Amino acid sequence: MTGAAGRAMRVGPVPGLGLPGDEPAVLDPGVADSGAPVHVIVGAVDRIAGGTTLVEVIAGGWRFELEVEPERRALLRERATRAGAAAGSGAAMEVHAMIPGRVVSVSVAAGDAVRIGEQLLVVEAMKMQNEVRSPGDAVVARLAVSAGDTIELGDLLVVLAAHAPPRDAS
Amino acid sequence: MTVGPRRVSGAASLHKDGSPRPPFRRVLVANRGEIAVRIIRACHALGMEAVAVYSDADADALHVAMADEAVRLGPAPAADSYLRPDAVLDAARVSGAEAIHPGYGFLSERASFARAVEQAGLVFVGPGSDVIAALGDKLAARRLAREAGVPVVPGTLQPAPIARAADAHAIAAAAKDIGFPLLVKAAAGGGGRGMRRVERAEDLPAALAAGSAEAASAFGDGSVYLELELRPARHVEVQLLGDSAGTVVALGERGCSLQRRHQKLVEEAPAPGLTRAERRRLHELAVRIGRAARLTNAATVEFLLDDARRPWFLEVNTRLQVEHGVTELVGGLDLVVEQFAIAAGRRLSAAARAAADRAASPVRHAIEARLSAEDPGRGFAAAPGRIGRWSMPAADWVRVDSGVRSGDRVPPDYDPLVAKLLVVADDRRSAIERLREALDQVEITGIQTTLPFHAFVARDRSFAAGEVSIDWVTERWDGVADRARARPAAWLAAARAASSGEASPWLTEPDEVPAWRLEGREALHDRWPE
Repeated sequence: MTGAAGRAMRVGPVPGLGLPGDEPAVLDPGVADSGAPVHVIVGAVDRIAGGTTLVEVIAGGWRFELEVEPERRALLRERATRAGAAAGSGAAMEVHAMIPGRVVSVSVAAGDAVRIGEQLLVVEAMKMQNEVRSPGDAVVARLAVSAGDTIELGDLLVVLAAHAPPRDAS
Repeated sequence: MTVGPRRVSGAASLHKDGSPRPPFRRVLVANRGEIAVRIIRACHALGMEAVAVYSDADADALHVAMADEAVRLGPAPAADSYLRPDAVLDAARVSGAEAIHPGYGFLSERASFARAVEQAGLVFVGPGSDVIAALGDKLAARRLAREAGVPVVPGTLQPAPIARAADAHAIAAAAKDIGFPLLVKAAAGGGGRGMRRVERAEDLPAALAAGSAEAASAFGDGSVYLELELRPARHVEVQLLGDSAGTVVALGERGCSLQRRHQKLVEEAPAPGLTRAERRRLHELAVRIGRAARLTNAATVEFLLDDARRPWFLEVNTRLQVEHGVTELVGGLDLVVEQFAIAAGRRLSAAARAAADRAASPVRHAIEARLSAEDPGRGFAAAPGRIGRWSMPAADWVRVDSGVRSGDRVPPDYDPLVAKLLVVADDRRSAIERLREALDQVEITGIQTTLPFHAFVARDRSFAAGEVSIDWVTERWDGVADRARARPAAWLAAARAASSGEASPWLTEPDEVPAWRLEGREALHDRWPE
C-alpha cells in the first residue's frame, strides 16, 4: 500500500514525558510545513522494538521527546488490544496479521476450544517462523486463511468466539 | 570592526620595565564551569599556569581538562567541595599557586575566605577582605552610599530591632514612612534569601520574623531592614575598577532588567535609553561609592532606575559579574586580565583608562544571553542532564563563554548556566539582529535550555524599543504558549525522522541509560501483544 494513508505516522510524547497539550496526533510526513517558521533540530533517533521510533526534536529551542509509530501499526495494535479485552468479556474477537508473510501451517480447526497463548497458526516472514497465539480462552469460530496463503499486515486470520457462550438475555 | 574579547591588551605589556612579565607564575582558579574556563584562558594568554579545582561531579569537566594541574576538593555537593575554604587553600598550597581567582558565586564574596587567603601569604584576586566585608553587609553599604551623597532606595539604615517588643511601634512607624508595598531584606542577603514582600502594615511583624529566621539560617546573621519596593523599575549596574594607587574608574553601565527571581537572563551594555548626561551621572555616583569604600580590583555597583530614570543605589558586588563580557565587548578590554594586573600591584592599564574615558559615550552595543539548563516552560526549573550535540555560532561579532562540550553532563549540584552567548554591533538595533541570527545557529540537544526564552526576547518589539523593567519577564513571557507554537513543527519533524529510516543514538554511557528510556521501552513492550 502506498499513498498518504500508508505513510501516516502517529506522533506523541514518550509516556510520562509530555506536558499538557502534548496530545498524540496522526500526520503525513510528506505534508508541507505550515504555520510560523520554527527552527527545528532532530537530535537522537532510536528505533526500538515493535516498529516504534523514539525521536528527540528541538523546535524553537523547545526539547520534545517523542515516540513515532506508523498509524497502520497503531490501529492494529489497538484493535488487538480491544479484541483481547473483548475476549475477557465474552464477546467474539478477530485475530489479524501483525506481520506480512505466508501461512505455513494452521494448528486448529473450527469448533476447537483453545486456551490463552495456544498456537493458532504459523506465519513465515523474512525466513522466520512466527507463531500466532490465541489472545484468550475461546472457541475457534472461523478460519479465514489456510496453509500456503500469502497475507498482508492487518489481514483477518481467525475469528474466535467466547469459550463459554453468554446466556441468552431474552 | 574588530572586537577581540580574548585580546590581551595593555595590562601585561605596560609593565614599567616594558617586559611582558606575567602578573603571577601560577594561579589557582577556585571555580567551575564557564567562568573557570574563561579565567584559565586569561591565565594562559598572560603566560601564567592555571590550577583547577574540582568536585567528584566535575572530574571530567572542561575546566579540569584545560588546566595545567587540577586538585580534587571533595564530593559533588558544593558545601563539600567548592564552598570549602580550607580545601581550596590546601589546593593552592599543594599546587604552589601564588594567587587565587574566585570567579563569581561560591567563595568570591566571602570576606573570611579572602582574609584567609591574604593571611596564608597568597594573593586574592579581588577587592581586599576588609572592602568585601564592608560592602557585603548591605546595611553598611547603604550607609556608606548615603554618606557619599548617593541616593539610596528609601528604607532603613540600621537593623530592625525585632528582638525588642518595645520597639515594634518604631518599626511600624518607619514602615509607614517608607510606604507599602515594601521589602524586608537581609543585611547579609543575596539571591533573594531572607527577603519578604509586605503589602499591608499588619503583615509586617510576621514578615520580619520569617525574613530574619531565613537569613539567620542561610547566612548566620539574622539582621534585616526595610526597603521600599520601587516599581516600575529598571536594573542598571556600573562596572568599577580600582588600583592600589587609589584610582577608581567606571567602565560603563549594563542594563540587566530581564530577570526572574533575582536571576538575570539577558544583559546588555550600555543600558538602553539613557542620555549621555544620565550615563555620566550614574558612573559618577558609582565611582563615589568605590572611592568611599577604598575599592581595589573589580566591583559592580547596582542601581534601580525609577520611571523618571532617577538612579537609586541598591548594593555593591565585590567580584567579577557573570555579565562582565558585555562591558569588555563595548569597552575593548579584558577585565580578568585587568584583575590579575591590579592584584599584582600594577596600575590601571592604558586600555582600562581609555575605556573609562569613553564610558559615557559608548560606540558599540553588546548583548548577552545566559543559556542555562532550565525549562522556561516550567518556571525556569533546573533541567540537568547529558548534552548531546553542542554547536555554537562563530563570527567575529559573536563570543561564546562556555564550560561544556558535547557529551558532557550538566550536574544537578550547581548553577545551571552552561554558556553565555554574547554579540556586539555598532548599535543596539544591529546587536538585537545579530542576537537573533546567533541564537538561530545554536544547536544543543540532550537538555532543555533557556534558548526559547532568548529567541523570544530577540524578536520582541518592546525589548527592541528598550521598554524593559524588572517585571518584564513576568509580564511578557508565556512559556506554555511559546512551547505550544513550536509543537506542530516538532511533531512533523519527528514523523519525518521516523520515516527516513535513519538513526542516531542518544549520547549515554553504558551504566547510564536514562530512566525514561527504560520506562519507555518497557511500556512499549507491555502494550505490544507478542
